[in-house]
This record gives sequence, C-alpha cells and structure tokens, in this order.
Amino acid sequence: MNYVTIDQVTKGYENQVVLNDISLTLKKGEFATLLGQSGCGKSTLLRSIAGLEGVDVGRILIDGKDITNLSPRQREVGMVFQSYALFPNMSVFDNIAYGLKMKKVKNIKSKVKNMIDMVDLIGKEESYPHQLSGGQQQRVALARALVMEPKVLLLDEPLSALDAKIRKSLQKELKRIQKELDITTIFVTHDQEEAMTMSDRIFVMNKGKVVQSGSPSEIYTSPVNTFVAKFIGNYNVCNMEVFHKLVRSTELKGNEVAIRPEVLQLVSAGEDSLDLQENWGIKGVIKDVSMTGNVLRYEVETDESAFLVDYLHHRGEMFEQGARVHILVPKKECIIL
Amino acid sequence: MKVDGNWFNERTVKPIPKLLENKEEREVLRKIKKQKIYLLALLLPFILFVIGFEIGPLVAMIKNSFYADNGIQVTIDQYITIFKSKFYLQAIQNSLVISLFSAVTSVIIAVIAAYSITKFSQKIQNRLLMIANMTSNFEGIPLSFSFIILLGNNGLFTLLFSKIGGDVFADFNLYSWTGLILVYIYFQIPLAIMLIYPSYQGIKKQWKEASSLLGGSTLSFWLHIGIPVLLPSIVGTFSILFANSMGAYATAYALVGSNYNLLSLQIASLVASDVALKPQLGSAMGVLLAATMIGAMWFNERMMRRIRRDLR
Ligand SMILES: Nc1ncnc2c1ncn2[C@@H]1O[C@H](COP(=O)(O)OP(=O)(O)O)[C@@H](O)[C@H]1O
Ligand SMILES: [Mg+2]
Repeated sequence: MNYVTIDQVTKGYENQVVLNDISLTLKKGEFATLLGQSGCGKSTLLRSIAGLEGVDVGRILIDGKDITNLSPRQREVGMVFQSYALFPNMSVFDNIAYGLKMKKVKNIKSKVKNMIDMVDLIGKEESYPHQLSGGQQQRVALARALVMEPKVLLLDEPLSALDAKIRKSLQKELKRIQKELDITTIFVTHDQEEAMTMSDRIFVMNKGKVVQSGSPSEIYTSPVNTFVAKFIGNYNVCNMEVFHKLVRSTELKGNEVAIRPEVLQLVSAGEDSLDLQENWGIKGVIKDVSMTGNVLRYEVETDESAFLVDYLHHRGEMFEQGARVHILVPKKECIIL
Repeated sequence: MKVDGNWFNERTVKPIPKLLENKEEREVLRKIKKQKIYLLALLLPFILFVIGFEIGPLVAMIKNSFYADNGIQVTIDQYITIFKSKFYLQAIQNSLVISLFSAVTSVIIAVIAAYSITKFSQKIQNRLLMIANMTSNFEGIPLSFSFIILLGNNGLFTLLFSKIGGDVFADFNLYSWTGLILVYIYFQIPLAIMLIYPSYQGIKKQWKEASSLLGGSTLSFWLHIGIPVLLPSIVGTFSILFANSMGAYATAYALVGSNYNLLSLQIASLVASDVALKPQLGSAMGVLLAATMIGAMWFNERMMRRIRRDLR
C-alpha cells in the first residue's frame, strides 16, 4: 500500500546529527512536501532517497524494494536541483535525451519530443542552457528527470531561484504535470505558502526530525507545537500565565495558547457592545500597520505582549496607529499547545 | 544629477539642444570627456610598450624577411632558401615533432594530475599549486644543468644506479632526442597543471550527481560532460605549450648545443652567432615559426568549436 517508506533513518556528519530517526510513508501518486527552515535536513533526506548520500541507520523502500544500499543509477528516481544542473555543453534536446541514451532505450527521439511538448519548450530543442531563462532551464531539468519515467520524482527547492511571478506559474505547471503523470513526488521547500498550495501532504521538519505531518489544512489549523504554529501561520503564541492575566480568566489550561492572526477582530475602545460570550477581550493600542497586498497587518501592543491581527484590506476601514482598541479572541479558535 | 552610462549615451547619440544649453549638464559632459582623456593617458605607457617591444619587432622581422642578404633588394629568396634546404626543413620538422609530442604528453599528464590535485584538502591543494607555480618558472639553462647533474653521463642518478647495479639508465642518453623530450615535458607539465587546474573548479558536483541519477557511469560523465567542459581550457593550454616549446631556446641550447637541429637554435645561430650572420634568413625563419604557432592555434580553435557547439 505504501509506495515510499522511510524507516527510522538517521544520519550524521562528523559531530552533528542531521537526520534524527525519521520515519514517513507516501502513497503512490502523492505530492508530498518536506517543509522546514534552512539547515533542518531537508536536502539531506532527499539526497539520501536519491542515493547521493548514504544513511547511518534505517531503511528506505520504494515500491516494496529495499533501495538503501543501491547506487543512484539503480534506484529509478529522478531529481531536480535548485541550481538546475543542466549539462552546459548539450542542447536542450541532448540534455533530455542523456538518460535515455545511457539506458540505450528505443524511440529516444519521440520520447524526448513528447517531454518537450509537456514542459512547453517547443522550439527550444536546439538551444543551449545559457541561452535560456531560469524558468526555462528548470523546465528542461524537469523534463530530463521525467523522461526516464522514474518511480519517484525528487525536487530540491526547484523554484527558489526564480522570481515571484515565474515561480507562481511554474508551481501551477508542476502541479499539472504531476497530476497528469500521476507521479509520486517529494518536494522540498522552506516556503510555507508554496508548500500549502502544492502539496497533498506536508511533512514539517525541524532540526532533523519530522515534527508534524498532515494535509495542508490540518497543519495550518491544528499545529502540534509552538514551532509549527509560528512557522506555518504566523500564529500568535502566548504563554498561558500571561494569557490568563490578559483575559482575566483561568478557563484555559496548558502551557501556551496559539491563535491565528486572521481570526482576531479589532473593535474601537469606545464601543461597548462586545460579545464576551463567545470571545475574550484584550485591551491594546495599535503600534504598527503594514500592508502586504490584500492583507492589512496590525501589530497591537497589550499590557503583556504584542499580537498580530490580519484583516482583508477593505476600502475605508482602517485603524490608525496609536488607536486604542479591544482585541476580540474567539474562544473556539484558541489552540492549546 | 545622476550620471550613468545610459544617460550619457542618450545625450551624446541624440543631443537635445535645449538640454545641452543647460549649464549644469554641459559641465557634466565636459567632465566625462575629461575623464576619458585621463584614462587614455594612463593607458599610453602600456600602448607604447606593446608597440615598442611587440608589434615593432614583429613588423621589423616580417619586413626583414623579404630582403636579400645584402639588405637592399626586396625578394622572397629567403623563403625559397628555407624550403629548398633539407637542413632547414629538418629543423622545422624536428621542432614541430618535439613540440607536438611534448605538448600532447604534458596536457594528458596535466589533465590527470590537476584532477588528482582537486581531490586533496584545500591546504594541500594550495601547497601543490605553489610547487607547480615555482617549477613552471624553472626552465632554460638552470633546468638543463639540473638535469645534467642528475641524469647526465656522470649524473648523480646515472652513477648511483650503475653502482647499485640497476641498469635503468644504461641506455639513456640525456643529450639525445629522448633526453631533450624528457626535459621539455618536465618544464611543460607544471605550466600545464597551472593552466588546467582552475577549470576543474568550473565542473559542478551536481552535474555528476545528475548524470549518475540518469544512469550514467563515471566514465560516461567524463566522456560526455567533464572533458567537453574542460575542452576550451585543454585546447588553450595545448596552444600555449606548443608555442612555448616551439620557441624554447635556452634549455635546448644548454643541453644539446648545436648538435641538435631545431628551428629556434637555427634562428639564434643566424642572428647571433659568431660564424655567419644572416639576419634576413633568420627573420624569414622567425616568420615561419610564428606562422606555425598561429596555425596551431587556429586549428585548435576550430576543432574545439566542432565539439563545443554551445560556444559558437
Ligand atoms: N557534506 C556535509 N558535511 C557536513 N555537514 C553537512 C553536509 N551537508 C549538510 N550538512 C549539514 O547538515 C545540515 C542539514 O543540511 P541540509 O540537509 O542541506 O539542510 P536544508 O536542505 O534543510 O537546508 C546543515 O546543518 C548542514 O550544515
Ligand atoms: Mg537544502
């Protein structure tokens, strides 16, 4: 049933454990993402699956076969690197055909043509890598990996070197191709937004461990710890004692409480029709307002700590810096960690 | 006001009179002009140097080669003399053979040696390069004498091995064709390593990884990607080595004197010997020497473009 199995994999360099007892499984055709900050071991895990790094402990299985000790060329996996890694002396066509030539398969020409069609590079067959844009180069790299019909496609931050607009469109295209070929894919990124939009399943990594796995919405709405809460959704994470003081109630128990910025509401201090049945109210002052496109982000200073409050940017409605407000905290949106 | 290249271009290519009347802008233009002249002035010594010591002698040599021995009549006799003389043709042939042979051998050795150097730690790499750098400057008479002391008829190793009983150097004669080639290769290798080593830095680890994931072996990586990527540097190095040994004079002179018939030795004896000075003939041979070097470079370039079509 499981197509890819990582079984208690551990790996270290000199005096540092980089992968710490990692276990995870993927189903066939799944688009999984390894998400985590730079240096948490994402690339190392991916490279271990590819066979470019060995593991110290544990097993890796693909399609029921133990591949832990196979060389990269025996593993039937494809990989795309952040730096494209195209062969500079070969044309687009030859880059894509390279693997097929190594395998001495038939119909190289038509296979390559189909692939060039799929990644939308018709007319560029005879171009060389240095004549292509970053986005085009990455399409070639993708085609070069896919033409081999690998069992698993590994993508190590393939879009991180591209500018925002091209990145967005390539995200969509990558997703389309992945669905079309129904290929099991492991995608690495440090960008939570990218992970959210692309993945069927996300594995959040921190310091060489998988700290949470689940669908994008599971991860977003119910983070299991402070790290995930802060990394995934800019959650306001508040110490429980502090929270008790702020809301003058000890109803909630636990260590910390996490609240998403977009569930909070702001009400002018003068207003007295507060719904304190469903919400808690916290007094505060607007310290800063910033705008990220369609979202207005308020930083609200309270007696104990600062809260982020996100609003969709509607015309006319805006609190000024320095305004006195109440923050309404919906009780059912409080996540206890 | 911001003065960048763009601004300057727009205004000079398509001057807008109204703007140029602006005093401030005229001032800026004047300053740029002044700066340009200033930069040219700084370049002047270099230009004079190139003209005086490189282009000048070259032109003089070419001109000289078209004069008769008396230096008055204009003629192509000097070239006819060379092409009719078995002796001179032999010199050209010998020079070509020894240069080709030593350049090819040195390049092959250097490609392998430079690669092994990249496998050491950075510290050791730096040390090895320093040694290569020093030894690449070790040529000419000192080098010949070192070889004579070590491998000559009464050389250290020659005597040592004959004492020990190993007849390794029994058939070896330093003052022969083999000896000459050995010395040439010796002084070419460090230079070749110095020239080829940096291009290994241009080979990305990810190319190897991609190749292996696509089913390529180490050999196929080097065959299809590694060597082609190194090729421009290999070809360039080969051209330099070829020219280097075509023109090598002091090393050969110290080792074999005029016993061995080489182009560079013949030119020297025609322009600077105490027997029969024939500077016009020497010049003609010099022109032929330069022509072979240019020919070799041209040929190398062409061959490279065939393989590296991406470089156009
Ligand atoms: N070849 C190596 N030698 C020593 N340490 C390494 C090596 N490769 C990676 N590391 C270390 O392993 C950790 C994880 O690296 P990596 O997997 O590249 O992280 P990520 O891809 O999540 O940014 C980092 O702390 C890095 O310094
Ligand atoms: Mg990485």
